[in-house]
Amino acid sequence: MAISDMGQPTIFSITESELDLDGLLAQITLDSTGAAAIFTGMVRGETRRGDPHETVYLEYEAYVPMAEAKMKQVADEIRQKWPTVEGIAIVQRIGRLYPKTPTVLIACTAAHRDTGVFEAARYGIDRLKEIVPVWKKEVGPNGEEWVEGGYRPKPGE
Amino acid sequence: MNKIKVLFFATLRDRAGTKSLDIEISEETTVKGLKDRITREFPSLEQSMESVVISINREFAFDESIVPANAEVAMFPPVSGG
Repeated sequence: MAISDMGQPTIFSITESELDLDGLLAQITLDSTGAAAIFTGMVRGETRRGDPHETVYLEYEAYVPMAEAKMKQVADEIRQKWPTVEGIAIVQRIGRLYPKTPTVLIACTAAHRDTGVFEAARYGIDRLKEIVPVWKKEVGPNGEEWVEGGYRPKPGE
Repeated sequence: MNKIKVLFFATLRDRAGTKSLDIEISEETTVKGLKDRITREFPSLEQSMESVVISINREFAFDESIVPANAEVAMFPPVSGG
């Protein structure tokens, strides 16, 4: 979904389609934009940190209407904390995704790079991993396992 | 009695063997009461209930919350998107 409030675009969606990083960035770039911080996560085929293992693919699912509502909430929180942010895009791809495939995009635009835009994008991905109802099942050479997050939402979230 | 819909996601759906069910609950039923009832009907969910996250009408809900009529309740593990 894409909305525009006072000329400031906000995109938040769950999609089964390939993430169009350039297209999404273009949609949140205004005449006054001079900086963008873009975070994208991808499927990691080889995990070396912690418990080293190989991933064949990840299977993502979402509670779509609530996930999109919570993405909108994350965008609202970003705007409250960093009023200088101009455009925000928060997009999660679901379905079966293979190594090297981008799975999520959080992008924030602003007039200048020293306006908190890096922190805003960082906050966006951290918050998505806390409150947006999306889950992934990891499928490896020796079986599959649901990945469970570690955050418990609090009242008011 | 109030009619409600319960949705299961991820591990809870796998363990319950169903995506959703329509049930009737008494008025004043709390989230805790609903969790206890679901666990009785689906003993395979007992372990999941220790860390389950609940939403009512797409907002997070907590043990003492009352489940309203026609609610869409979802039960799922802590989220792992990204």
